[in-house]
Amino acid sequence: MLLGPSLAVSAILFTIGVAGVLLRRNAIVIFMCVELMLNAVNLTFVALSQAYGSSGQVFVFFVMTVAAAEAAVGLAIILSIYRHHKSVDLQQINLLRG
Amino acid sequence: MIAFDPTTPAGTALALLPEVVLSAASLVVLLVVAWKHQGPADSRRAGWLALASLGLTALALVWVAANAPEEPGLGLMVALDGFRYFASALILLVSAGSVLASLGYLERERLVAPEYYVLVLLAVVGLLFMVNAQDLIVLFLGLETMSVAVYVLAGYNRGSTYSAEAGLKYFLIGAFASGFLLYGIALVYGASGTTNIVQIGAQFGEAELSLMAKLGLGMLVIGFGFKVAAVPFHMWAPDVYDGAPTPVAGFMATAVKTAGFIALARVLYTSFQGSVLVWQPIIFALAAASMVLGNLVALAQKSLKRMLAYSSVAHAGYLLCALWPGTPLGMSSLTFYLVGYGVTSIAAFALLGAVGRDGERDVTLGDIAGLAETRPWMAFALSVCMLSLLGFPGTIGFIGKWYILSALVASKFPLLAVLLVLTSLVSAGYYMPVLMAMYMRPSRAPMVFFDRGLAGSARVAVAVGIIAVLALGVWPGPVLQLANHAAESLAQTAGQIVARR
Repeated sequence: MLLGPSLAVSAILFTIGVAGVLLRRNAIVIFMCVELMLNAVNLTFVALSQAYGSSGQVFVFFVMTVAAAEAAVGLAIILSIYRHHKSVDLQQINLLRG
Repeated sequence: MIAFDPTTPAGTALALLPEVVLSAASLVVLLVVAWKHQGPADSRRAGWLALASLGLTALALVWVAANAPEEPGLGLMVALDGFRYFASALILLVSAGSVLASLGYLERERLVAPEYYVLVLLAVVGLLFMVNAQDLIVLFLGLETMSVAVYVLAGYNRGSTYSAEAGLKYFLIGAFASGFLLYGIALVYGASGTTNIVQIGAQFGEAELSLMAKLGLGMLVIGFGFKVAAVPFHMWAPDVYDGAPTPVAGFMATAVKTAGFIALARVLYTSFQGSVLVWQPIIFALAAASMVLGNLVALAQKSLKRMLAYSSVAHAGYLLCALWPGTPLGMSSLTFYLVGYGVTSIAAFALLGAVGRDGERDVTLGDIAGLAETRPWMAFALSVCMLSLLGFPGTIGFIGKWYILSALVASKFPLLAVLLVLTSLVSAGYYMPVLMAMYMRPSRAPMVFFDRGLAGSARVAVAVGIIAVLALGVWPGPVLQLANHAAESLAQTAGQIVARR
C-alpha cells in the first residue's frame, strides 16, 4: 500500500536535509537538517515494513535512540562553541582552515 | 574444542564476551571516577584502570578466539571469525597506546577530568561492535556508540577555542555521514529484505543489482568514506586532528580508521561479493583521489600535525588500494597494512604529544630543528616513524606497501600500483624534511618545544611502537600469517554464501 510514494517522499525529505546541511551556515539549523535526514530514513524503514514485516519498525526505535543521544551530545558541543564565539554561525567559526 | 553454541542466548552472550567485559569495566571506571575526580592522582588512577580494562578485554578476546566454533554462524548478528579477532586485537593495542600517551599529555595540559578515559573505553566498545557486526544495524549502533564518545573527546579541551571548534566540526560532519550510512542501510534492506550481512550476500548473489541496491551501496560507501577520511570526504580530518588533543587525534587516525576499514571490507566482501564490478570503480576513484590529493596537499603544510593529518588521508588511499582487488590476498594486505599504519601512527602522535603546551598549538619544522642534538632518542623515534610512513625498506611500512602492490599486481591492475608508487615517492617530499630539520639544522636556543620530553608512560607507547615497526620490518612472518588467516576466514564466510545459493 503506497510503498512507492512513501519511499519517494522519504527520498525527497532526505535530499532536503542534505541540501540544508550543505547550504545553511548556522550550526543549529545544520543539526536540524541532520535530524531531518535521520527521520527521512525512519520513514523509509516504516514504509519497508509493509513488505518485510515488523523488523523495519524495530529499527526505527534504534535510530530514534541514537538520534536522541546525538542530540544530547551535539547541543552540548554547540553550547561550548557558543561560549567561545558568542555565535553559532559557522562563518565566524573559522580558526581552523582546511 | 567447542565451549559454547552461539545460536543460544547464553552462547550469544559468550560470543560477545570481550564487548560485555569492556562495557562492564567502563561502567566500573565511571563509578570510580564519579567518586574520586579531584586531582591529577585521580586522573592517573582512571588511566591505569582504563589500561587494565583493555587488558581484561584482550584476555576475553583470546578466550573467545580459542573456544568459539570455527564455522561462521550464518544468520548470527556477530561474526565469529579470525577477521574479527585480528581487528579487535589491533584496536585494543592502539587504544592502549593512546591511553598511555594521554596519561602524561592530559596532566601537562592541565586537563584534570578523568572522565576522558571512560569516554575512550566507551568509544572502544563501539569500535569492537563495528568490527564484529554481521548485521548492518549492529554495525550502525557500534559506529554511533563510537562516534558520540569521540565527538566529546575531540572537543575535550573546553578551554581551547580550537578544541571546541574541532569538536563541533567532527560532530556536524560525523552526524551528516551517519545519515548517509543509515540511508544506505535502509535502501539495502529495501532491496534485499534483510540486514544480515551474510544473508544480503546470499540474496544479491551474482545477479545485476537493482537501482535501490546500487543507491544503497553508494550511500554506504559515502558514509564510510567520511569515517575513514577518504577524498573527497576528507575536509574535516586536518581541522579536527589539528584542534583535538593530540592523543585523541592519534586515536582517530588509528583505531577509528581501522574499524571503518574493517567494517567496509566486511560489507563489500560479504554482502556485495557478487557485484565486484559495481564497487571496484568507486573504490578506484576514491583511492586514486586520496593518494594524489592527500600527498600533494601534505607537501604544502607547515604544521606537523596537519601534515600528519593529510598523510593519514593519503594512507586511507593506500588502504583503499588494498581493498580494490576483492581477493583474499588483497584482504590480507589490508589487515597487515592496518597493523603497520596503526603502530607507526600511534608512536608518531605520542611523540607530537610532547609539544603544544600552554596554547602553543602549531609545531612547525623550525621548532624541531636540531632535535637530534638535544634529544637524540626522540629524534631517532620520530625518524623511524617518518621512514615507516614513507615506506622505507627495513620498516613495517615498506612490507605493508610491498604486500599491497603484490595484491594489486596479482589481480592484473597495475594502474593503481603505479599510482601508489608514484605518490609514495611524492610523500618523501614532506617526510624527509622532518628528518633533515632534526639532524642537519642547528638547534634554535632555547628550544620552545620538546623541552620537557615525554612522560614515562608515553615513552612506553613510543618504545613499543618503534620496536614493532623495526622488528616487523625485518621479520613480518608471524603477523603476516595471522593476517592471512584472518583474510581466509572472511573468504570462508563468503564461500559459504556461494555454497548456499
